[in-house]
Amino acid sequence: MGEQVHQSPISVVIDPLPIITSANPQEPVILAAKEAASDSILTRLHAGYFRICLSFGAQVLLWKTLNEHVNDHTNSIHNIFHTHTFPSTAFFLLYWLSLCTLILLSFLYILRCIFYLRLVKAEFLHHVGVNCLFLPWISWLLLLQAIPYTKNFPCRILWWIFVVPVVILDIKIYGQWFTTEKRFLSMVANPTSQLSVMGNLVGAWSATRMGWKESGVCMFSLGLAHYLVVFITLYQRLSGASRFPAMLRPAFFLFVAAPSTASLAWSSISGSFGVPCKMLFFLSLFLFTSLICRPTLFKKSMKRFNTAWWTYSFPLTFLALASAEYAREVKGVVASGLMLILSALSVFVFLGVMIVTAANTDTLLRGNDACLSLPGTKTTNN
Amino acid sequence: MENSKQNHLAEEGSSEALPSLIKAITANEVAGFDSVEEHQDFNRRLKSTLVHPLSTSIFGIEAAAMENENELSKPQRTHSVSISMPPSPVAAHLQNTNRVLFGDEETVLGNDSPSSAAAAVSLQTKQAKFYSQPMPKGCALNEAITSGTSSNLPVRNPRIDKLKDKRFDSFKTWSGRLERQLSNLRGKHRESEQEPQPQHRAEFETLPVDRYFDALEGPELDTLRASEEILLPEDKKWPFLLRFPISSFGICLGVSSQAIMWKALASSASTKFLHVSPDVNLVLWLISIALVLIVAFIYALKVIFYFEAVRREYYHPIRVNFFFAPWIALLFLALGVPPSVSQTLHASLWYILMTPILFLELKIYGQWMSGGQRRLSKVANPSNHLSVVGNFVGALLGATMGLKEGPIFFFAVGLAHYTVLFVTLYQRLPTNETLPKELHPVFFLFVAAPSVASMAWARIQGSFDYGSRIAYFIALFLYFSLAVRVNFFRGFRFSLAWWAYTFPMTGAAIATIRYSDVATSLVTKALTVVLCIVATLIVSALLVTTIIHAFVLRDLFPNDIAIAISERRPKTTRRWYHRRSGSSDTKVEEYLKYSNSDSKDSEGSTNSSHKQEMSGSLHKKVERHHTHDGPEP
Repeated sequence: MGEQVHQSPISVVIDPLPIITSANPQEPVILAAKEAASDSILTRLHAGYFRICLSFGAQVLLWKTLNEHVNDHTNSIHNIFHTHTFPSTAFFLLYWLSLCTLILLSFLYILRCIFYLRLVKAEFLHHVGVNCLFLPWISWLLLLQAIPYTKNFPCRILWWIFVVPVVILDIKIYGQWFTTEKRFLSMVANPTSQLSVMGNLVGAWSATRMGWKESGVCMFSLGLAHYLVVFITLYQRLSGASRFPAMLRPAFFLFVAAPSTASLAWSSISGSFGVPCKMLFFLSLFLFTSLICRPTLFKKSMKRFNTAWWTYSFPLTFLALASAEYAREVKGVVASGLMLILSALSVFVFLGVMIVTAANTDTLLRGNDACLSLPGTKTTNN
Repeated sequence: MENSKQNHLAEEGSSEALPSLIKAITANEVAGFDSVEEHQDFNRRLKSTLVHPLSTSIFGIEAAAMENENELSKPQRTHSVSISMPPSPVAAHLQNTNRVLFGDEETVLGNDSPSSAAAAVSLQTKQAKFYSQPMPKGCALNEAITSGTSSNLPVRNPRIDKLKDKRFDSFKTWSGRLERQLSNLRGKHRESEQEPQPQHRAEFETLPVDRYFDALEGPELDTLRASEEILLPEDKKWPFLLRFPISSFGICLGVSSQAIMWKALASSASTKFLHVSPDVNLVLWLISIALVLIVAFIYALKVIFYFEAVRREYYHPIRVNFFFAPWIALLFLALGVPPSVSQTLHASLWYILMTPILFLELKIYGQWMSGGQRRLSKVANPSNHLSVVGNFVGALLGATMGLKEGPIFFFAVGLAHYTVLFVTLYQRLPTNETLPKELHPVFFLFVAAPSVASMAWARIQGSFDYGSRIAYFIALFLYFSLAVRVNFFRGFRFSLAWWAYTFPMTGAAIATIRYSDVATSLVTKALTVVLCIVATLIVSALLVTTIIHAFVLRDLFPNDIAIAISERRPKTTRRWYHRRSGSSDTKVEEYLKYSNSDSKDSEGSTNSSHKQEMSGSLHKKVERHHTHDGPEP
């Protein structure tokens, strides 16, 4: 392969891709000498890295929403803090930072698609990696939503550009769930499957922000139907815990993200935060409480830094966003207090993960990101 | 029964048994001596991980027990000894020869110092106690001893009468020390007994859920499988507290839901033609308060004195759902409060009542979600409806009190988890072991959740709208589909848990009353009357049956086998041969079969013994071995 030309003559023939953390010992791993020698960032950059962009995008939206909340003077708690408005400069700074990160990562990923198409294919065929392929589009859609004026033409074009791949992925993946025997939902279901559902729901949410109600409802119904199936299957835990690597346990927080996103999407479709939205928000809150009461579940994944840690950040942010909408609807001390707590928590977690990432940039850029086990040669098995 | 024979033998004193034992053991020892030695080291290596303290008197008893077993299985054993050893039957052979080996050792010990104290429980004997050694089938006591939970057993042979009481010690709180403390406090002079050996476990291990599936069967998982033994003596009546299961709270559920029904009958517009007096509601309500207090008091005593038994009930896959029952009963009491007592209840009462339910839910739903050994695909059973219906009852009460957000919260959580449970139960997954193959009154719990959900939704929304009607019709459909199969509900042993299965019928009746309020017609009124009569009749019949069992038959509280299962399954040789027929022979596999973690032996032998099954089950065993080390739910 071409990459060998760029490498030094001393090429260590080992698999640079991460240690296989998927505990499925029946799938043989064939070491490929060719790909083993390359060491560039492109080989290591898998779609899971877009979690960073997703977290940034969600934070941007949260700050924007909180800004709107502060400006909404009917809110009792914020009357106390009326001096403490989020400065617009900070918001724009964050927005541009997110945008740059996203552009950079997207560019790198495009390069990866060009040069290492085999690796991308391997990702697509992996039961966890395929769901991470939704992450870039969700990130772009969120940033698109954060733009103040979204009903103009260029934004609509952009929306189409970002949503069409989501729909194509949907058709491919959801169809496989009940037609392709090797990829039946009962076999491949894992907590990251909720990312595909979130892709639909965020698409619906941004559609209604654009002013397209019908597309919004369409995407929402797609998302909701498959969310129901995924939720039930995941709760049943049919294939047991063995197929899901311990490093990816933060993905359990996706249980929190999906209902919150559904609640937000439905609230923008129906125009107000009605009872279904409240129910979805409460479900999300309950699942969040349930997860934080089980810290031992995440002990193994906290031993070593990996990009999956960013999965702690954006579900919390979505929950905070939903709580902000809830507090706007149900004015009261409890609701506003809840919103403040969740928003503060989300900001802290975001900053915390960012600091940890900054401290571990060598792991991120040069080391092996052990969260996604993708021997590049798994294509032969699928 | 051999079991009782063993116990009688033990009780009469093992000294008589010893002389004959010597003769028997020597004969066998000679036969199997050579082949025993080489396996001894293997045993020791394996056993080193499974050390449990023992006492010599136990050996004496066991030796006595084995003496009987020896004669019975002698031909079997010698036969197995003479077979040449491919690796696979080695383990089987191990078992048989182990018995001989231990008999030898124990005979020596027993002879030398039958009265030796714990000091005689040397390391040698500790090693000698091989955990997966097959116990003679009838020896429940031995099984109890080897399981190590009865580490407090005194050493004395002459103290056989004390032994009886001590056998329940393992189930008492802090292994009986609490009781001794209390009696010391009361000033009772207790005779100085041999101190329980200091090697008692610092904390009790939790029984893996597979153990319950392996050892128990039946729709309520309360019948012991034939091959299993229990820790406590089967033939003796256990202390009352040990026999008092959590499912007794079902009585409270049944009676308090009746109170609600009669309240609705008296106060609702569509049933005015029946002229039901509100006094019925008052009387029933007072009775249910009394019942709740009594049952709660008794169970609180059980928690104080027999905490280990309560723990084991908590880990039982079916009984755990009944831990919601007390709180649901309290909610029913609040719902059924007669208007003459109080018109409105304070909102803080709702928060107080819902807090325990919330905590229990967080725990149990989290177990479902995080997988491991208690994941839903494995443990789903109709009693899980009790875990879910609490949400709807809470939502109903909250909405009746006028709260807004809290009821929606619990309704949402209940709805989400009910959907999951409903689909899982309908699927009747092959990995699901707890669903009874035949119809059983527990299936009536299916009717509970939709009927209460419809009422709760009606209250939340303010009117009996489409959502409520959909839920109500689902409930009605399930009710009728079960009612037409009433023929299949025969032939089951009565248990107190049946009371819990009456409240869905009452709930359906109440939902019908609410529905007929909205859609008043002759049909709905007739339906109301019919359902109410059916509910009342069933409760009355159950009351009569309970009284008969309580006072006439005196078996209302039978020995609660389900909590006394041992931690290790006794392996019989016959099972071994059956299982070994198609499997691959590796030491690793053998070790796993003997190993500490869950064994899927029953699954392997009950389903089929195909090779794929074996390798699959082996793989699962490896998995489970790992997942057992994983996060405990």
